[in-house]
Amino acid sequence: MVVNELDTLLAASVGCQAIAFADLSTRMILVTDTRSKLPRETLDALCVQAATVLGAHGKIGLGANPSRLALLAEKTSVHLFLRASDEPDDVLCCVCAPDVNVDKLVDEATKCLNRISGG
Amino acid sequence: MPEPYQRRLIDELGTQLMSDMIALAQKLNALAARDDVFEDGARVISQGGVPAPMTAFLAVVDETVLERRLDFAVGDVVVSVIAAGRRLRGMIAVSPAAGDHIDLFGKTLSRQEPAMLDAAFALLTDIFTGAARLTVRSLPAEPFGSGGERGISASGLAEIWQIDISETPLPPMSRFLRVNETAFSAVLLVSAGDILATYGDIAGLQSIWDTQVDAFLRAQESLPNHQDGPKLICLEGALDDGNTAALALAGDDVALMVYDPAKLGALHASWRSIFQ
Repeated sequence: MVVNELDTLLAASVGCQAIAFADLSTRMILVTDTRSKLPRETLDALCVQAATVLGAHGKIGLGANPSRLALLAEKTSVHLFLRASDEPDDVLCCVCAPDVNVDKLVDEATKCLNRISGG
Repeated sequence: MPEPYQRRLIDELGTQLMSDMIALAQKLNALAARDDVFEDGARVISQGGVPAPMTAFLAVVDETVLERRLDFAVGDVVVSVIAAGRRLRGMIAVSPAAGDHIDLFGKTLSRQEPAMLDAAFALLTDIFTGAARLTVRSLPAEPFGSGGERGISASGLAEIWQIDISETPLPPMSRFLRVNETAFSAVLLVSAGDILATYGDIAGLQSIWDTQVDAFLRAQESLPNHQDGPKLICLEGALDDGNTAALALAGDDVALMVYDPAKLGALHASWRSIFQ
């Protein structure tokens, strides 16, 4: 179950506040973790943000290629977006506190996405 | 009545004493005026590379009048030294142990021992390079060397090690680029629309700046969850050669970088220590 994977990742990632699994082809959040309960409009905004920073629908925000990973750090938050290697429209979105351990989060989130995408 | 040579000696001692008193008063005024930050009881003396950790180290030595053990910490690494009379007497230890520098510990630094000074500089540089935060604890002195050896003054070490202890702090974006320069293979720094500096092969970055940054930022600003303020955006595999690109924003400054993806966590930690 995807939701179980998201819950496991959230529990393992100190500083991570919410995790969602999105489909960039429809720009929709498909599943979220069970704890965070973000409002629909926040989830929609998160999905649009994932599309604009990673690149989607043949449109690239920055650079020449769609990105595999995007990290957006601001004063009050860190957003990590990870694209599945086999299914480029499948994206994991992590909403985190600014002091999250980025290396650990990327490592755990990559493993989680591989399990979801390969399952 | 004192003899003439005795009078001259008294005058010289008086002049020296007055000079030391003035320097001491200046140090005490500086200590009283500043707004120190403490973390778990240790004083934060360099944050995000400001001031440069080696400059901060020498400044602490320079303000240490009474003999003290000083424990400087970068993360879990602690280097302990003995300072007194605004001089660095020598180094006590590094924890975790650094075996290559074992000949350095417990010996008084001297201008007559340039190899020892080089080793001390190498050790400190090794520990301080890339330090996001440097702290110091002042502890009671412990027996060290022989009584007659005074070590080297902070200003003397600055001269020997070619450290500019009067350096002017860099603006935050320049500081971020300086502190992380080993993570970047190319940099394009823009301020208020003007390209201020470039480094490395900037072809990919120049193209991003010329054709994409404005539209990208407008798209970001239109999002409901948009936040004003400094930003760091890192994109893996965004460049046409598969390289990673990052965009840092702060005020009128925009920096585009090609960075080593293995340094993502360190880059974020550094950005946070400077801009938050």
